[in-house]
Amino acid sequence: MLEVKNVTKYYGNFCAVNNLSFTVKPGEIFGLLGVNGAGKTTTFRMIMGLLEPTEGEVTLDGKKIDYSVTDQIGFLTEERSLLTKLKVSEQAIYYGTLKGMEEDAILKRLDELLEKFEMSQYKNTPIKELSKGNQQKIQFITAIINKPKLLILDEPFSGLDPFNVEMFKDEIKALANEGSIIIFSSHRMEHVELFCKKIVILVSGKSVIEGELTTIKKKYKKKNIYVRGDINVSEISKIDGVISVSEYGDSYEIKIEDDSVTQKVFDKVKKYKDITKFELADATLNEIFVAKVGESYEK
Amino acid sequence: MKNKFKFLTKESLKRKISSKWFKIVNIILCLVIMAALNIDNIIKMFGGDFQEKDTVYIIDNVDGNVYDVFSSQINTSTSMFLADDNNYNIEKYDKTLEEAKKEVEQNSKIIVLEFNKDSENVINVTFLSKEYKDLQDMAILNTAINNTKVSYAMIEYNVNPESLAKIYENVKINRVFIDEEKDDKSENTNMLMTTVFPIIILPFFMLTIILVQMIGAEVNDEKTTKSMEIIISNVSPETHLASKVAAGNLFILIQGGLLLAFVGLGILVRFLSGSGIESSGTVGNYIGTVIDLLKGTQVFSQLAYVLPLLLILLITTFLAYSLLAGILAAMTTNTEDFQQLQTPIVMVSLIGYYLAILAGLFKGSLLIRILSYIPFISAILSPSLLVLGEIGIIDVLVAIALTCLLVFWMIKYGIRIYKVGILNYSSKDLWKKMFKSLKQKKV
Repeated sequence: MLEVKNVTKYYGNFCAVNNLSFTVKPGEIFGLLGVNGAGKTTTFRMIMGLLEPTEGEVTLDGKKIDYSVTDQIGFLTEERSLLTKLKVSEQAIYYGTLKGMEEDAILKRLDELLEKFEMSQYKNTPIKELSKGNQQKIQFITAIINKPKLLILDEPFSGLDPFNVEMFKDEIKALANEGSIIIFSSHRMEHVELFCKKIVILVSGKSVIEGELTTIKKKYKKKNIYVRGDINVSEISKIDGVISVSEYGDSYEIKIEDDSVTQKVFDKVKKYKDITKFELADATLNEIFVAKVGESYEK
Repeated sequence: MKNKFKFLTKESLKRKISSKWFKIVNIILCLVIMAALNIDNIIKMFGGDFQEKDTVYIIDNVDGNVYDVFSSQINTSTSMFLADDNNYNIEKYDKTLEEAKKEVEQNSKIIVLEFNKDSENVINVTFLSKEYKDLQDMAILNTAINNTKVSYAMIEYNVNPESLAKIYENVKINRVFIDEEKDDKSENTNMLMTTVFPIIILPFFMLTIILVQMIGAEVNDEKTTKSMEIIISNVSPETHLASKVAAGNLFILIQGGLLLAFVGLGILVRFLSGSGIESSGTVGNYIGTVIDLLKGTQVFSQLAYVLPLLLILLITTFLAYSLLAGILAAMTTNTEDFQQLQTPIVMVSLIGYYLAILAGLFKGSLLIRILSYIPFISAILSPSLLVLGEIGIIDVLVAIALTCLLVFWMIKYGIRIYKVGILNYSSKDLWKKMFKSLKQKKV
């Protein structure tokens, strides 16, 4: 289990992370969210043992993370962290060996992963000759080459097309099913919603929301109603408690203050003809994120 | 589990040595060094006017002995300017100057000297040639003509030929030293080493630059590609820097060895081509002269204890340069910044190099002696001063001790800058951050 206990990090007088705590169990995928400069990278670096917390501690299975346990960790950085002059196999051997693996084991695992990601033909290709998406795949492959106990993924889907995003998702879920602890960071909230059971949202180094995603969503009062059919937008907008009505083709998204408004909207909508859909849903994580973080995310 | 330090060192070295450019540069270096050592043979191989000697026709309107006197004088004056004293064909010319003009018109390698009696200046000479002559030819011929005139003047004043020969003979100088350990051979070596040693030490300067560039470029490359994040999450910054230092020093050891091998190859080619090391006017001749002079001095006999000390000084200096390059590269956020930072390192090395040249001109200079203790400069300056007899073994030991202290300081405190620097991607308040990191034990 990964435990981040009351961790604070100061750079001089600047507080990058302020009293952050969370735990991630084996098999869980944890979302660490925040705008740029919120303290995610500092948190990752403290988890990796690259930075010493000013206060608090980070442990993996009760043991402080240092170079004796880093062989069990996989790390995918937000930006490409590949030595682009190397060939794919050389890069895998380079990072794999730094994880304490033997060359034979690295190449065996590399073959498996290259096949899985449909990249076997690139084994001896210099990384600089690969497309951005393929470079990202290689970065992911090198991060999981050691079947890590703890896997840190900082924006793993960057530069990937939807087809490859699915491939990544499957592999991440497979690793979680095998018992890996996965910490995940992304600006794409729909990805986080799909994966993470638990999340933390950081604002200026401080946690503003933390816990089970389903609980967070339930606690968040604002809801969305999705309607398909011919409705009178101005009539709906005038209902007390309706925040906004947006049109998407033949469908509408009606944002409401809380559950109590649902009945009022339903009473109005049922009078209209040709209504084929009326669905109440929790607010999306993106809405919760924007609401909590405020306009800074947009910036 | 693999030794990560060994792996990183091997990878760094492999990346450098297996690169296409390493091979290309060394092939070029090999060819250039071999060509430099055999430049005279190469020039001769292509041929040209220089292979044909100038023919000097002597028209003697004085007394019929000018040819003999001038022939003797031209040999003396040629040997003053050139190693080869057989640079001209001297021939008697019995025809007139007008007839000689026709021959000169046909052949630019002919020079005609018409010697005439002169009531005021003993003799005068008409110098006839088709083309302009170069400075060297003019100097040799003018000296020979003037000496011929002096000979005639002495004969005119009844100085007999035996006395004349004695007059032209070099003065025997009995060189006496107060210090019995000193001798004139060492003095000659000192004079030569003043100019030669900076040339011998030149490869050290070159290797220093290669070392700084290699370590800096690698650290910078890993930092800018962000692969540093992955590397440092698996090995400590201390191990990482140590691997760079080890790889850098092994690389220059290999490069230095290759340079020596290229010199050896060049000399071998000289011998195989039948030129020998002693051919005139070449680098080979220069090296041969230096070795001959050194043989007659105490330098070789002192090598047994001087060489290990100088090697220690070189190794510690290379270590200091490597650590400095790594630390500075860690601080920079892009390749351009590192290139800027390289300049002061090169300047420091250059200062040492120039001081080594100046040391022979400013004998006994206290400033140069003090500077010879300063790390980085000492590796070039101390050996020069030691060979010149300006400093002793104790001074070299002081220079080694100071360099070791600097290496220790950089290992203890520089690593703190390195730890902060390698994960810093912002140039804002860079120096403030770095100075602050010096005080931090933990990052």
